Amino acid sequence: MEKRAVRFRLGETLVFLGPLLIFLIVLYGMLLWTIYVSFSDWSGTAPNFRFAGLKWYQLMVGLDRFWVDVRNNLRWLLLGVIPTVVIALFIAYLLEISPIRGIEGYVRTLILYPVAMSFIVTGTIWSWMYQPDKGVLNTIFRALRLDFLTSNFVNDPKTATLWLIVIFIWQYLGFAVIILQSSFRTTELQEMIEAATVDGASKLRILFDVIVPNIRSGLLILVSLLLISTLKVFDIVYIVTFGGPGYSTDVLAFFMFIATFQQHLVALGAGLGVIIFLIAFIVVIPYTLYAFQRWFE
Amino acid sequence: MSKRWLIVVTALAVLSLVLAACQPQGVVKTVVVTQVVEVKGTPEVREVVVTATPKPEERKLEIFHWWTAGGEREAADAMFKAFKEKYPDVEIVENPVAGGGGVSHRVVLQARLSAGLPPDTFQTLGGAELKSYVDGGYLVPLDDLWAELKYADVIPKPLANAVTINGHPYTVPLNMHIQNILYYNKPLFDELKLTPPTTFDELINVAKAVKAAKPNMAPLALGAKEKWGAAFVFDSILLEVGGPEYYVKLYKGEIDVKTDATFRTALEKFKELIPFINTTNPGLTWDESCGLLVSGDSAMVIMGTWAIGYFKSRGWTPGQEFGAVTFPQKPERILLFHPDTYGLTKGAPHPKTTMDWLRVVASPELQIPTDVIQGGLFARLDIDPKEFPDPIRQELMTYVRENPTKLILDQHGSIAPFSFTQAYWDAIAAFVVAPDVDATIKTVSDLFTTYQVKEGAAWYQWP
Repeated sequence: MEKRAVRFRLGETLVFLGPLLIFLIVLYGMLLWTIYVSFSDWSGTAPNFRFAGLKWYQLMVGLDRFWVDVRNNLRWLLLGVIPTVVIALFIAYLLEISPIRGIEGYVRTLILYPVAMSFIVTGTIWSWMYQPDKGVLNTIFRALRLDFLTSNFVNDPKTATLWLIVIFIWQYLGFAVIILQSSFRTTELQEMIEAATVDGASKLRILFDVIVPNIRSGLLILVSLLLISTLKVFDIVYIVTFGGPGYSTDVLAFFMFIATFQQHLVALGAGLGVIIFLIAFIVVIPYTLYAFQRWFE
Repeated sequence: MSKRWLIVVTALAVLSLVLAACQPQGVVKTVVVTQVVEVKGTPEVREVVVTATPKPEERKLEIFHWWTAGGEREAADAMFKAFKEKYPDVEIVENPVAGGGGVSHRVVLQARLSAGLPPDTFQTLGGAELKSYVDGGYLVPLDDLWAELKYADVIPKPLANAVTINGHPYTVPLNMHIQNILYYNKPLFDELKLTPPTTFDELINVAKAVKAAKPNMAPLALGAKEKWGAAFVFDSILLEVGGPEYYVKLYKGEIDVKTDATFRTALEKFKELIPFINTTNPGLTWDESCGLLVSGDSAMVIMGTWAIGYFKSRGWTPGQEFGAVTFPQKPERILLFHPDTYGLTKGAPHPKTTMDWLRVVASPELQIPTDVIQGGLFARLDIDPKEFPDPIRQELMTYVRENPTKLILDQHGSIAPFSFTQAYWDAIAAFVVAPDVDATIKTVSDLFTTYQVKEGAAWYQWP
């Protein structure tokens, strides 16, 4: 009788533990496996697990491309996150205080649309917009006699990454607005805004002194989600520039793909994966954990 | 007690049957089944030996290829039609992966190969790419098949060399794509009374003349988004400045680029050409760059034989709207090429069917319809060049028949290892946007050492 009870409990536990175990094995098992491969000597199509120490890491840090990637990834982290949050904050606030009733719903839908599309689609559309010769943007600028605004966009190696980040901001803006708006809508905050309005505070003052300090949890979760999205950026680069011109818009994730599957340098690709993980570990994960803690407080 | 034994033994028997079923088919297998039968409490053991008769191989062919785009899909269909005509009983299982040049194909294929689940046969270019699969131990040498077909006698020697690694042929090539062809807008050339250039100086002069007459035009079109487009142009310049021997030596890593005068001269000449190239090049794919000729934005483009199909799909007729010359033709008229090939994988589930397939790949019955549609030249020299509908390939094929040794591997079926070539394309594509000769020499020179080109390319023999 007792035996049966134990078995029953074991089965019950397994139902809940099973998915977790699978998750742990798939995620952390693969992570450990990647780290292991990065120390092996696997170059070529056939697996080769001979230990090579830091050989491929040494090769990696000797490559100019690697440092261009690190720089670009940091750019993505900074410029992909901060402007998105700031602009979204203003838009969300504007929608909240908009005097025209009903317009808010339409505008929100409008800016939310890009989030629903895949980067493959938006990337293709934007590469048509950016085309220097016959692209939408330059054609409009020329027609309006605003020739000083025309640009080579993603064809200029110096600014190309920035134009790619613009696509990201455009796409994630609606998402950011939604998260911020929802965090405006707590009873306490609404009461505070009302009180401030009664006291005669200006709209801007309310935004910075009342709203921003009180939506910290919303901001925290938004920033952490954006950090994760920018760190793993791959598709925009793949579609719009393919890392070019040269490798000026390359990012670590894209180089990982090229190294592993085009150059057949699997150990190097695994090493790049480890570097991405390290950046995530140092920058994103502590922040996210902190943010989620605050969120659930 | 004996009941437990029964369970264990039965389980073992079932397991051994399952394991035996996992063996490759066609192997004669012997299974020993041990039965324990309970007779009045005393266990009696009987042994039954079952010997399976060899099962004939299933007539099935699993094939990986990347011919999915317009024109290519039709070529793949022509290929399978030719095979079906000869072997109607075979079921073809296609695993096409879209993506020009096999970029995505490689990802899927690599996963299947390293997991030990090879398809029967897969498309691969000759040269460095093929070598990477041979080095991985994924292909079976085809010496017997080549001897049976006498294939080495009917194809050009450089083509045979491109698929021969360590003395063994590993695949059967079905075509040859030529890289260094300069296409030009014929009505425009007639209007400006220009002759198609065959040397670098002529190219510059023509470019200047076009620029003078049509200031809005970029005389030479280039699409460098996929990176290799820029290397095509540079290869042509290298070939003229250094000659064929130099070209081979360079990509075999036998030249010290850092101090080499020829490489520097070639880069400087390339720099001279850049003002005549469309500035939109980093964002354009190869077909978009050819599109610049059709839209009247450019007068010339250096592109492979596959561009013929593209121009035709845009309604241009060879010899009327566009013409083609191989470039350069000095000091020698060399054609840079790569083949599409198929081989037999190690551990292929249907090796016999695959060998039948390879016999068809080598045959004119497959090569004529496939190559005419897909855009390359015939691998076999004994096919009449008149089979090609366009004068461009008729002329090229005739030239190859008369000069079968004037072929050298190009960027795609590269001489240097793939790890180097990919990075090299980046460097050359970057040069077009920011032409810094010294920096590029340093970058390229580092690439040669980083990716150990000398060791990796030692296999290549030319002529």
